[in-house]
Amino acid sequence: MSEARAQILERLRARQADATDPGAWTTRRDFPDLVSRFSTALEAARGEVFIEDDLAAAVVRLERLLHNLGAQRVVANPEPPLDTLDLPVRFPDYAWHVAGENREALRQFCSEADAGLSSAQAALAETGTVIVDNADGRSRLVTLLPPVHIVLLPASRLTSDIFTWTAARSGPLPPNVTLISGPSKTADIEQTLAVGVHGPRRLSVIVYR
Amino acid sequence: MTVTIASFRKEAATAVGDAHLQVALETATGHFRDGRSEALAELPDAEALRDHLKAVRAATIARLADHLETFERNAIAAGAHVHWARDAAEAAHTVTELARARGVRLATKSKSMATEEIHLNQALRAAGVEPVETDLGEWIIQLAEEPPYHIIAPAIHKTRDQVAALFAAETGAPPADDDIATLTAIARRELRQRFLNAGMGISGGNLAVAETGSIVLVTNEGNGRMVTSLPPLHVAVIGIEKVAPTWDDAAAWLSLLARSATGQPLSIYTTVITGPAQEGDVDGPAEVHIILLDNGRSRLLGTEYEEVLQCIRCGACLNICPVYREAGGHAYGSPYSGPIGAVVSPLLFGLENYPALPHASTLCGACQDVCPVRIDLPRMLLALRAEEVSHGLASPAETVMEKGAAFILAHERLLRWGRRLLALGQLPLVAGRQLQLPPNLNPAQERRLPALAPRSFHEIWPELEDEDV
Repeated sequence: MSEARAQILERLRARQADATDPGAWTTRRDFPDLVSRFSTALEAARGEVFIEDDLAAAVVRLERLLHNLGAQRVVANPEPPLDTLDLPVRFPDYAWHVAGENREALRQFCSEADAGLSSAQAALAETGTVIVDNADGRSRLVTLLPPVHIVLLPASRLTSDIFTWTAARSGPLPPNVTLISGPSKTADIEQTLAVGVHGPRRLSVIVYR
Repeated sequence: MTVTIASFRKEAATAVGDAHLQVALETATGHFRDGRSEALAELPDAEALRDHLKAVRAATIARLADHLETFERNAIAAGAHVHWARDAAEAAHTVTELARARGVRLATKSKSMATEEIHLNQALRAAGVEPVETDLGEWIIQLAEEPPYHIIAPAIHKTRDQVAALFAAETGAPPADDDIATLTAIARRELRQRFLNAGMGISGGNLAVAETGSIVLVTNEGNGRMVTSLPPLHVAVIGIEKVAPTWDDAAAWLSLLARSATGQPLSIYTTVITGPAQEGDVDGPAEVHIILLDNGRSRLLGTEYEEVLQCIRCGACLNICPVYREAGGHAYGSPYSGPIGAVVSPLLFGLENYPALPHASTLCGACQDVCPVRIDLPRMLLALRAEEVSHGLASPAETVMEKGAAFILAHERLLRWGRRLLALGQLPLVAGRQLQLPPNLNPAQERRLPALAPRSFHEIWPELEDEDV
């Protein structure tokens, strides 16, 4: 194996040339209203966006969404603002699971859950993207396995685009970071759009100020 | 397998003669072309961003060894294992050994051209591992036992009836109807079980970011996330040229990848994997292995073909190409079809195996126009044609004809008399100033070739010169 490594690198070194680093891309887009751009872009990709005045209103919206879904089993990531809401007490009609210690139970619950609840570490206005990662005990499966993914997003986490996001980032990354820009979709059969082939078929983002 | 001019023509003729397929090809490529134009038009500095990404790719490739070492160091620091493979066999062997050592029987795969290139599915089957493609299009062609038809849309040539029949054979039950939503739901149900049961997830990598040692995967369906999240072992196979030194470079790459491919500003899921699950993580693979695949790429560095290593595999050149749009993907006999495939396949897998591909082009230059990094594919197609001649790969008849033509064109008198002879000799074939080509040269009778004029332009020039123009 290390023989392969040595040979490949040696061959590349023997043929390498000087190169000037082109530097970073510094042109920036200017969106007067990040929330409205986010909402337009995500809706264009068939995501759903609700804009609420504050967290209390966002929770009312969440309740209505879960109710209209006819959801029974709901799984949530252990993160703010969800962990401050005492969801199992507030909405006792649902069977709840909060991602935590037991990996097997989490996997099982996510496979059968009707909805997954998370926040997002950042969001990109340009492309209507929410960014979730698996640091601090957050699960990747909560945002992936259930047919519906609901995101509670503080408007303050919105940044302009992928360039402003990467520019603000530094240091090592957690094992998994995912940029989500809509519900799962495919056009692999006859170029006809179908949603929800593997990931959630519905992505609802509740943005609150 | 050798893709000769004859075999290319045969496959292309089949595609051209299939009315349904022609509609499918035009619908799919047209949809992608329109999407690309609209997406780039929405970006205020699209042209400057393309130039920037080209500069990034060129500089990265020139110092590839440094960037690969940085990538490796950071990936290892994040807990991933990094393997290097000189060729297809070495890469496939690395994957099968990882599977064998862990007793893996079922592997789920996210769409990857690199694993197509190394024929990984055959190697896995030979090692007793069942590989399951999970991108809907890839699963369809796996069930049909066919190679992908398009870099980013592998099953564009299949109709819903064909898909329904394939699913019926696989699941043992015919679908309730051939509605596309019904078929998609079958794939979701069937593949969900595979995702949960697999002992190993296999992916490619759209790019690798050296700064953090991360692999980036782009999918619309979410299968890339499943494959890299559910099984205890994740193996990624990625070509050594696909490194972005920094996250800013990766941002430029991602900004143009989906826009050029499907016209989306970003694909639905952009997944960044940096090592295995850490202490305290509630899910994710315990092991991540990254295989850096050379397979002929390092040979191109420092040659006139180095530029082709800048490719980000968006497929825009396929969608615009007048040859691909008629001949379809299978004629190319390679996982890489279209203009990029016509250059990359001979370069990576041997010109002697793909002698037809440098000719599968009109040299119209549309591929270079739409390429996000403006790769000069026509230049390289010509260079490959020249190589065929200098390596004696051109057919003897072609060589004789070209030498003859060169000789005649160099001798004016021969040219003049030769032309007169041909003008006379063609007479039995001329009708209404058109040359009626024999059926073997013009099977569909769709070609119109004007007959040679009685007198050449050269001959009438002196008279024209006398006229007062």
